[in-house]
Amino acid sequence: MKRRKITGDILTYIFLLGMSASCLLPFFWMVRSSLMKLSQIFIMPPVWLPNPVRFDNYAKALTVLPFNQYFLNTVIIVVGGVSGTIITSAICAFAFARLRWPGRDFVFGAILTSMMLPYAVTLIPTFIGWRLLNAIDSFYPLIVPAWFGGGVFNIFLLRQFYRTIPMDLDEAALIDGAGYMRIFTQIIMPLTRPAMVVVGLFSFMYYWNDFLGPLVYLNSDKNFTLSLGLQLFRGMYNAQWELMMAASTVVIAPVLIVFLLGQKYFIEGIAMTGMKG
Amino acid sequence: MRTKKEAIAGWLFAMPVVLGFIIFTLGPMLASLVLSFTDYRVLIQPKFVGFDNYTNLFSGLDPFFYKSLLVTSYYVVLSVPAQLIFAFSIALIMNRDIKFRALFRSIYYLPSIVPAVAISMIWLWLLNPDLGLVNSLLKSAGLPTSLWIFSEKTVIPSLVFMSLWTTGGTMVIFLAGLQGIPRHLYEAVEIDGGNSLQSFTHVTLPMMSPTIFFNLVMGFIGGFQSFTSAYIMTQGGPNNASLFYVFYLYREAFTFQKMGSASAIAWVLFVIISILTVLVFRSSNMWVYYEGEAKN
Amino acid sequence: MKRRIALFLALVMVLGILFSACGAAGPATSAAPASVKPAESALATPAPKQPVTLKFTYWGSPIEKDAVVKTMANFQKKYPYITVDAQHIPADYETKITTMVAGNTAPDIAYLGEGLAFPWAEEGKIYNILEFLDKDTELKKESFLSNIWYDWAPGKSIGTNTAVEAFAIFYNKELTEKAGVTVPITADTAWTWEQFVEAAQKLTIDGNGKNALDSAFDSKNIKQYGVQFGTWWAGWLWAVYSNGGDYLNADGTEFTLTKPEAVEAIQKMSDLINKYHVCPSPIQSKALPAPTVSLQSKQVAMSIDGQWCLLDLGAADFKFGVGVLPKLKTSITLVLGSPTVIFKSTKYPEEAWLLYKWLANPESSIDLQAGGLWMPLLKDWYTKPELISKWAENNAAHPDGYKDAIMKQTMTNGVPGPSYTIKNFAKIDAIVGAALEQVWLGEKTAKEALDGIADKVKPELKGRYGK
Repeated sequence: MKRRKITGDILTYIFLLGMSASCLLPFFWMVRSSLMKLSQIFIMPPVWLPNPVRFDNYAKALTVLPFNQYFLNTVIIVVGGVSGTIITSAICAFAFARLRWPGRDFVFGAILTSMMLPYAVTLIPTFIGWRLLNAIDSFYPLIVPAWFGGGVFNIFLLRQFYRTIPMDLDEAALIDGAGYMRIFTQIIMPLTRPAMVVVGLFSFMYYWNDFLGPLVYLNSDKNFTLSLGLQLFRGMYNAQWELMMAASTVVIAPVLIVFLLGQKYFIEGIAMTGMKG
Repeated sequence: MRTKKEAIAGWLFAMPVVLGFIIFTLGPMLASLVLSFTDYRVLIQPKFVGFDNYTNLFSGLDPFFYKSLLVTSYYVVLSVPAQLIFAFSIALIMNRDIKFRALFRSIYYLPSIVPAVAISMIWLWLLNPDLGLVNSLLKSAGLPTSLWIFSEKTVIPSLVFMSLWTTGGTMVIFLAGLQGIPRHLYEAVEIDGGNSLQSFTHVTLPMMSPTIFFNLVMGFIGGFQSFTSAYIMTQGGPNNASLFYVFYLYREAFTFQKMGSASAIAWVLFVIISILTVLVFRSSNMWVYYEGEAKN
Repeated sequence: MKRRIALFLALVMVLGILFSACGAAGPATSAAPASVKPAESALATPAPKQPVTLKFTYWGSPIEKDAVVKTMANFQKKYPYITVDAQHIPADYETKITTMVAGNTAPDIAYLGEGLAFPWAEEGKIYNILEFLDKDTELKKESFLSNIWYDWAPGKSIGTNTAVEAFAIFYNKELTEKAGVTVPITADTAWTWEQFVEAAQKLTIDGNGKNALDSAFDSKNIKQYGVQFGTWWAGWLWAVYSNGGDYLNADGTEFTLTKPEAVEAIQKMSDLINKYHVCPSPIQSKALPAPTVSLQSKQVAMSIDGQWCLLDLGAADFKFGVGVLPKLKTSITLVLGSPTVIFKSTKYPEEAWLLYKWLANPESSIDLQAGGLWMPLLKDWYTKPELISKWAENNAAHPDGYKDAIMKQTMTNGVPGPSYTIKNFAKIDAIVGAALEQVWLGEKTAKEALDGIADKVKPELKGRYGK
């Protein structure tokens, strides 16, 4: 019995290490390419380590890409988008998961349909709408929708988590005279912190990487974001891979940091393990 | 009295998304529905053409419609279960008490962060039929090799296989779900003398069913609309064997400038996804267990 | 409550209809300024005028972007009353410009793919450049190369390319010298197909150092390919042209890639891969870097490509040469590019024309011309030595032989590509391109593949522009 467990463990670790290697590979490829000469990147069989190491790819990439300006713009959009998403998606999910009201399931179904139509055909009408509001070349079209529910994906996700919490808690609180807002902020939110962190993480990734929104709504260079800037390295007929990889490495570094910080919370930050059903 | 108060609260809490849907989503959706009955080339006044765009598609006059629908359905049928099982298994392992858990978790999420082009480059090399690592491993193990993304038969399964590496998001959702399962339920199974398989089927699966349900619905809504990484690697080939539906639609809209026809293509997809979603939601009564409703 | 929902729904419907109505009505109003006629003449030194802002959109790599920014600054220096709001669109140009145009925020002047430019021009949303040229005192239609015009109807033209591009052979000099191969540079000395294949065989080397003419040559283990070409339409269509074939017949009503001369040419291209093994297959190509890099890294000896690759070759650190394309029947090169257009919705057609002229003048973008990315639009720059010396010689991007192999060839034997005239070309090519993938992979002959799609192509044939 014990022997079987040990072999099982060894097999698990072998699997985990193999998976890790394959997951690290693209990241490694990106970083090593960012330090190479263009001609070295594609040699077959691959050259694993750059020789010579060309740190000046980074310097070059960052002169093409006005990092500070784009970074600031990206941060504004990310902060506005993520906070709106977390707050309003949680509020709305509460309505769909914990409250009974006429038309609830119909409304939920209706908003779910907004994910089912490919954006290619709604892009132009949406753009026309924002133009009528005179909001082209501003951050409003990118941030404001986040404050209206923050996307069905997030509402649906939180709804699923909220629904796993026993209803007794709400009933008891209501009897104690608590309002719905208090139930939401004092019972539901603390109990579903992992899910909230997931929503925060996903919406951070979404706004950080969003390319189409900024492309369509932003016109002037001074408003560009990092993900838009990355496209600079993709020429009409040729791509400057080494610079693109250097810039990509710089641009995804903050995402990596946010993930490393966030993942602690949705694993170790659980206060609900002892909860009674 | 309470139900009325609750109803008002319900509408109030849902108000952001209700307003958001009406302001930002509904208008464009209806606009595209109207346009799907027109010949619309953006600069030119839309001309009403009745059901022409739809009959063009279904009569097979458009050479890409059935092909891309087939390709995409095939991809969805394979990828949704594969991704769910894979991400769930990884999440289960990551939820166990293993060493360097945090490190592994971060590493597995890495491919979801790295730009798609970097991942595609790696796969193009790994799966190269002549020089790739995968085929040389298969060869040295005496196994048959494959043309992977270069053959009409294997391109979709290959893309499904590759998609498993970017299921980090699904894994994270599963992990968050697993964390929400109260310990005492497992303890109860243990006290009753149950083994680990029983605690999996009696605790983990039912408690995780809302999360599985979510990932299932999102999996196929997303699956029907995915194309980015496939496009980078195959450009729809060989011979349209990986011509994904949304790529086909996008090309119709912006490259061929047939916005009316593209809207029709989009609404066909809309109907397909809606029907499937309704079916999955109907079925959820039978297998999704909500603790929050168990005692209602 | 019910009532309120009903009210909501009603509001929703109204909003939705309003949105779609605006979408529909938007472009119509944009036609209003179309009545503004181009000014009588554009003066070289303008009198003080009302300040004007022109919106200009373009694509391109950082190098192109820098060049455009520079030339716009010079333009504004010359015309202080004009401000150019130049917007660089880094990717997905079609999506962005379509959205801008649909949203009634079209630029005044823009780079535009011909797939979008032609239908819009036909609907009267783009200026006929000939109207401006007729009235212009400095520039005549005859000043431009004759094979670079996008005419949507007789006497109606979107204009010319933004810059000229043409196809040729680019090769690694060290490799050809070692193999004793000389790549011809003039049209009358161009290789026949047999000579070309033989040269490619000499330049294809396996892991044991044997070339493709050797009986012991191992086609499974190739270290250096003799030749490489891209499988998009320009990569093989030059061979069809050279063999007397065409994509469609003269009035665009018949799909002529199924004719023997076209099939033969495409089959010959496929044979390079699948019969002679002197060219990488699409599978092997995926393991190769960009053509300019594989030349330098000696994975490929000759590359058939557009002349834009001179930009990269000029910057690379190895000896390269250029040569004319081999001929099947006649020696030609394929000319391609995409237009710069002036939108009818512009409020300032006169100033837009000044900018158009400015961009058409090679002098204002001389860095891109001398750098190898672009070729000039104006004839004089191909014939007058003092102008030629400004771009086509004495720089790293233009080696010896360039003037014969590319510059002269473009002017005298340059055949414009199909996108200059064929209606609905993007869609037709999507069908053809997919079918030809089977040919390059060696799964079908050119005849089988092309005959197989003839019926699918037929309903997409809409004729040719300019007729």
